[in-house]
Amino acid sequence: MVETGHFALVLAFALSLVQMVVPLFGARLNNQRLMAVGGPVAVTGFALTALSFAALASAYASSDFSVASVWENSHSLQPLIYKITGTWGNHEGSMLLWVLILTFFGALVAAFGSNLPATLRANVLAVQGGIGAAFFLFILVTSNPFIRLNPAPIEGRDLNPILQDLGLAIHPPFLYLGYVGFSICFSFSVAALIEGRIDASWARWVRPWTLVAWMFLTGGIAMGSYWAYYELGWGGFWFWDPVENASFMPWLAGTALLHSAIVMEKRSALKIWTLLLAILTFSLSLLGTFLVRSGVLTSVHAFATDPTRGVFILCILTLFIGGSLALFALRASRLTTGGLFHPISREGALVLNNLFLTTATATVLVGTLYPLAVEAFSADKISVGAPFFNLTFGPLMVPLLLVVPFGPLLAWKRGDVFAVAQRLMVAFAAALLATLVTALFIDGASVFAALGVGLAVWLILGALTDLAVKSGVGNVAAGIMVRRLLGLPRSVFGTAFAHLGLGLTTLGIVGTLCFGTEKILSMHAGETVELSGHTLRFVGLYPAQGPNYSEDRGRFELIGVSGSPVGEISSAKRFYPVRQMTTTESGIRTIGFSQLYISLGDEGKDGSVVVRLWWKPLVTLIWGGGLMMMAGAAMSLMDRRLRVGAPSRRRKQASAVPSAGLP
Amino acid sequence: MLFWVIAAILTLGASLAVLLPLAASAKGASSSGQHDLEVYRDQLSELDRDAARGLIQPAEAAEARAEIARRILRLDNAGAAGGATAGRASVTARLVATVAVLAVPLVSWGLYVKLGSPDLPSQPLSERLAKNPADSSVDELVARAEAHLAANPADGRGWDVLAPVYLRLQRFSDAEGAYRNAIRLDGDSAVRQAGLGEAIASAAGGIVSADAQDAFEAALKLDPANAKASFYLAMALAQEGRAKEATTAWQAMLVRLPPDSPWRGAVEQALAKSGSSDVASGATNGPDAGDFDAASSMSPQDRETMINTMVAGLDDKLRQNPRDPEGWMRLVRSYVVLGKADQAREALGRAIAVFGADSDQAKKFTAFAASLGLTATE
Repeated sequence: MVETGHFALVLAFALSLVQMVVPLFGARLNNQRLMAVGGPVAVTGFALTALSFAALASAYASSDFSVASVWENSHSLQPLIYKITGTWGNHEGSMLLWVLILTFFGALVAAFGSNLPATLRANVLAVQGGIGAAFFLFILVTSNPFIRLNPAPIEGRDLNPILQDLGLAIHPPFLYLGYVGFSICFSFSVAALIEGRIDASWARWVRPWTLVAWMFLTGGIAMGSYWAYYELGWGGFWFWDPVENASFMPWLAGTALLHSAIVMEKRSALKIWTLLLAILTFSLSLLGTFLVRSGVLTSVHAFATDPTRGVFILCILTLFIGGSLALFALRASRLTTGGLFHPISREGALVLNNLFLTTATATVLVGTLYPLAVEAFSADKISVGAPFFNLTFGPLMVPLLLVVPFGPLLAWKRGDVFAVAQRLMVAFAAALLATLVTALFIDGASVFAALGVGLAVWLILGALTDLAVKSGVGNVAAGIMVRRLLGLPRSVFGTAFAHLGLGLTTLGIVGTLCFGTEKILSMHAGETVELSGHTLRFVGLYPAQGPNYSEDRGRFELIGVSGSPVGEISSAKRFYPVRQMTTTESGIRTIGFSQLYISLGDEGKDGSVVVRLWWKPLVTLIWGGGLMMMAGAAMSLMDRRLRVGAPSRRRKQASAVPSAGLP
Repeated sequence: MLFWVIAAILTLGASLAVLLPLAASAKGASSSGQHDLEVYRDQLSELDRDAARGLIQPAEAAEARAEIARRILRLDNAGAAGGATAGRASVTARLVATVAVLAVPLVSWGLYVKLGSPDLPSQPLSERLAKNPADSSVDELVARAEAHLAANPADGRGWDVLAPVYLRLQRFSDAEGAYRNAIRLDGDSAVRQAGLGEAIASAAGGIVSADAQDAFEAALKLDPANAKASFYLAMALAQEGRAKEATTAWQAMLVRLPPDSPWRGAVEQALAKSGSSDVASGATNGPDAGDFDAASSMSPQDRETMINTMVAGLDDKLRQNPRDPEGWMRLVRSYVVLGKADQAREALGRAIAVFGADSDQAKKFTAFAASLGLTATE
């Protein structure tokens, strides 16, 4: 089974080479047969990669220590779920997951791309095949997960305890779905550059892919943030850590791409800019994928520890980023530009959004790479942390967030900013009120905190105003209003949900950062502590045994107003003997949108324990907002207009169009 | 064999994916102009919907309509200029097709032969543990016993059997746990207590701590003739700097021990070391307590390196100065402890050769080796 997987992987590499070359020639020679090879090859390549991945996963699930990667990252005593998630909890396996998703998306283009112009489809599949070939080669040559050990060891070295968590089941797959989803946008862009023309259906195809990728990336980042929050025991949700930035940069660029793709699809404007953004977004995804695993991030010199891998990574990055940008420089002038618009219009608002987002991306990129550059060219080691990002990223985001509610309300081509402002009066008044109430009635609230709450309320109500205005609140009777609301295109809901989610996340961040409280103290069993109106009693420390760890579990009782316990929170320190590592399991209790967070520290000689307590108001909104954004993207994906654009399908749909809920 | 069949089927499937589209008759696909036209038409109807909802002002809508109309006109011009020439395969196309079809089997088999291990079957842990014990390695047997004990933790006999194996495998803390379990479940015995003491002492790099002493004393209480316990208790005295008392204790042991006891060698060796310096400084300087002390504070790799250098040094000295029976015994024991059975056997052979195969000393060597579980010949 293991060797079958290995063989399937090699075969998939061979097919990716065919997929890269044959359709490209087909498009060049305008030969239908050569172009037609792309589709079946992409689907077969995906099937083989899936077989390969299944073989590796089954080796992990059955603790086959004759596979080197299993031996290094698994243990027979691990629960089955962690054995399986351990498949991608390491460099080799995660690269295999990466190409699995890559070939999956390629197969989707092949399967559902029958309504694309033949040459565009062939070129897209060829570029996708090229990316696949590079990655298959990278895996086979430098990070082969199927390297065998003979004789096989009897026990594995265990998975890194921090990764033994459900987060590993969700976070990397979502993140990769996001990263790799942008590869399709990239392939479409490069295909358009190769052809030297942008088909009208180009944007109709790129936008849903951007949406899919963005949706998963949003989920992946939110999940990663929550995972770090509860697993690392520091109580923070974002650390401006280079690894986090690596995933945040494609998100920012992807958000910009999402918005410029709307303009391109609707109005055929911003074509060249959208193309460039698509290339940049995937380039940042590649950078993110590799920065994390090349070892560059902890130290530049780690590049040298595995020279083949480092050099290979550099080659792939240069080939794809440099190659596509060079192609862009050569061909961009041949592309025609599209529709015109006035500065104050929906298009203008989206351009503004793009300006801010790309600048923010550049800021994060500088903050992430600058320390690396300094370290590479001098002996100094500098650290760029939260202060840098608070001073640069923050001021860029605030004006962007301020204008967000205006965007969806502006008309296409030429908008009236005063009319929009009038419609937003209610939201503005409410935001002002929220600011005043926060500043005057909540103890310890700074001016910044009050303004932050106001901004969040402005965003949330602004998003709702969009829905209200479009369904005609105040102008028509309630019945018609409801009918109009339900008849709105799904993409309108998508926009509103995503912007609402942004507001919720902002509220969560402001709430946690400005109103959170923290206590560190040494507690004996039976002692009580009060934090922001919640009383906790430390019941005691109890040893327990897990399948592959032992733990000391500290139990705490939450005391209600009446003095009787209303709930229990427990936090543990776990010791994993195989890796000789200790992890913290934080104790969390959610109260409304807020959370009480407990983390155990060291044990004192006299039986006392160091306890860190946090009260984190509205903290769950940070990730709840992320889920809301995902829901918005999903809504937008369901929009009817994404399914149009094919000569053959169009005729069948023609009869359905008039009845499709026009107001 | 089965693997090669599967590989052949997979290759065939992959090749067909390339071959079939090439062999199929070319369908007359719609030109990209037709696609564009559909999209523009849809944009027009969408514009109407947006205008109806007030998302775009009437004047701007008219302007946009004109823009789209211009695009459609441009499309018609372009469409008249260049039509799709589908079908006939040129020479280049044939060449590309041939290379592509050949590339799939050639690349995949060529690479796989270089990278893969086709003869190595999958080895899921559960299968390895279920196979005939006679075919299993020591590691597998231990793993199997561990699995059994994880399911039946109250099996005292199982712990009793596993504990000395752990000791031999140098898994000292596991050995300690196993002995404690055996004592808890099957009761005290001198052998178990002495084994427990040895496990604790070995885990500490040879230092006989208070815990270990307690265990040895318990063993002696149960069986005053237990040689292991007496030996280590004397070692504890030596480590505390009470060399004279240690020597007395060891000498008393020599008197009491039966002539064929495996402990004789160890005691003589210890005596040689703790006795007058001219005995100890003869040819062989084995690791002493100080070295052990240093070793216990090192990382496992460093410790292993240190032990290996010391053993190698001993080996060298014996090559130059071979008539040193105790040195040979120490060397053989060191190799056994390090798990290098082959080198131990080789050292034993050399030792026997030095003194002559029929000499008394050679018999002693053989008996000593047997006590370590080693036979002179394979």
